[in-house]
Amino acid sequence: MGAAHTSVPRWPAAVPAVDPVARRLALLGLGARGAAHVQRWRAAVRPGVPVWAHTAARADDATLQLLAAEVGGARVGWRLLLAGPEVDVLAARAVATGLGALDSEIGVAVTSTRRRRVWCAHCRDTTETTQPVSGEVRCRGCGRRLHVYAHVSRRRGAHLGFQVDAEELP
Amino acid sequence: MTAVLPAPAATGAGEQARLVLEVSAVADAAPGIRTLTLRRPGGGLLPGHPPGSHLVLDCGGRRNAYSLTGDGMPAAEYRISVLLCPDGAGGSAAVHRWRAGDRVTATGPRSAFAPVSTARHAVLVAGGIGITPLLSHARAAVRWGRSFELLYGHRPGAGAHLAELHALCGDRLGVHEDTAELLARIGSVLADRPLGTHVHVCGPAPLIAFVEDTAGALGWPADRVHAERFSAADLDPGEPFVARLARSGLRVPVPAGTSLLAALEAAGVAVPSMCRQGVCGECRLPVTAGRPLHRDLYLAEPERAAGDAVMACVSRCADDELELDL
Ligand code: FES
Repeated sequence: MGAAHTSVPRWPAAVPAVDPVARRLALLGLGARGAAHVQRWRAAVRPGVPVWAHTAARADDATLQLLAAEVGGARVGWRLLLAGPEVDVLAARAVATGLGALDSEIGVAVTSTRRRRVWCAHCRDTTETTQPVSGEVRCRGCGRRLHVYAHVSRRRGAHLGFQVDAEELP
Repeated sequence: MTAVLPAPAATGAGEQARLVLEVSAVADAAPGIRTLTLRRPGGGLLPGHPPGSHLVLDCGGRRNAYSLTGDGMPAAEYRISVLLCPDGAGGSAAVHRWRAGDRVTATGPRSAFAPVSTARHAVLVAGGIGITPLLSHARAAVRWGRSFELLYGHRPGAGAHLAELHALCGDRLGVHEDTAELLARIGSVLADRPLGTHVHVCGPAPLIAFVEDTAGALGWPADRVHAERFSAADLDPGEPFVARLARSGLRVPVPAGTSLLAALEAAGVAVPSMCRQGVCGECRLPVTAGRPLHRDLYLAEPERAAGDAVMACVSRCADDELELDL
């Protein structure tokens, strides 16, 4: 598979704008730079359009639960704008799409791609790392040395990781 | 459309099952609407299909596509309901002449209007004879326990399948004989449905346009709205483009309102054709560059996505030039 077929996301260079037809907006900012985007988006929303806005340091469980409650109650016409490091934005997007949101209803501003999450194909635990794609990371669940594969699961918001030298094992 | 089928599909890319069928029963579903039951002459199961699929019937020297009204599970019978179009090209009149015991030939079934498997709820909108694919959707939704509602508009006294629809859908069915009332109902439904809802509409072109426009204005992304048009006549004239024939070097301009097929024929390029409305598959041409704008009912989803073939009778080009391997 060539680079054109990788599922590693390539984010648009431009920050997405508030969709003028949106009838409700959900804004989620992760980290300081993410929060700044939320502030700008908030100012651009037409008066009278309801806004749910939340900022947090990271897309931790508590934040994702708040987002899930917002998505779960949403009606069509809703739009989600996400800003923050790729690792957090991917986790948040996975929550939203898992509850029925489409890519066309989600805008993303990525502020950093330094961190990534790696899902272990052997023990199914997820490990966060700053290793690049094709790098190597120690799984926090089973201790295997994982190869950070160039495949990102949309459902999990994580890279696939499998044991280095897996094919050479007996 | 991301169709995932509850039933084994018989609609693989390029594969065209040719079926010989026997008319086993004929009944009037409404004034001018004839319901035909078709089965294999020797009996036996017919291929299953995604809900909303159609069968292409050879009728009176033409090929017409008719929606199958069953839920798509493999069954011994197919049912279609055909509106007699007195000023049509004659296909429907031929079908209306068929009697029990007649043999007919068909291809398909083919899927171009399937439900979205991940939908949290489905809003089904039917106008007139456009009820047929949506009856199939409703039956499948009931069978698989999926959330849906059906809005059905028809002229006074001209409703087809009303008794079975009421029995099938209960209070999930809204029937409107008044157009203004139907449109108002569509507007209020589209204004308040849960995220994850998809809309499927089949009916006259103005109804489809109303649903698409209203949904768009209410913030529905286009990929939540799915339409099936009756015929190529309902297609818009489209943008002009140029067909470049890679082998002969010929450049053929295709103006708005003229089909690629007609433009090629006028330029002396022979292209096989039959239905001229995007259902039979005869006029398929290989594409080597340019993005086809698919408007047919023939190509399967993966073939559309591949972008290397175009049905010349109805489809156009999203770019200024379409290069054909001719
Ligand atoms: S002629 Fe039948 S699909 Fe074009």
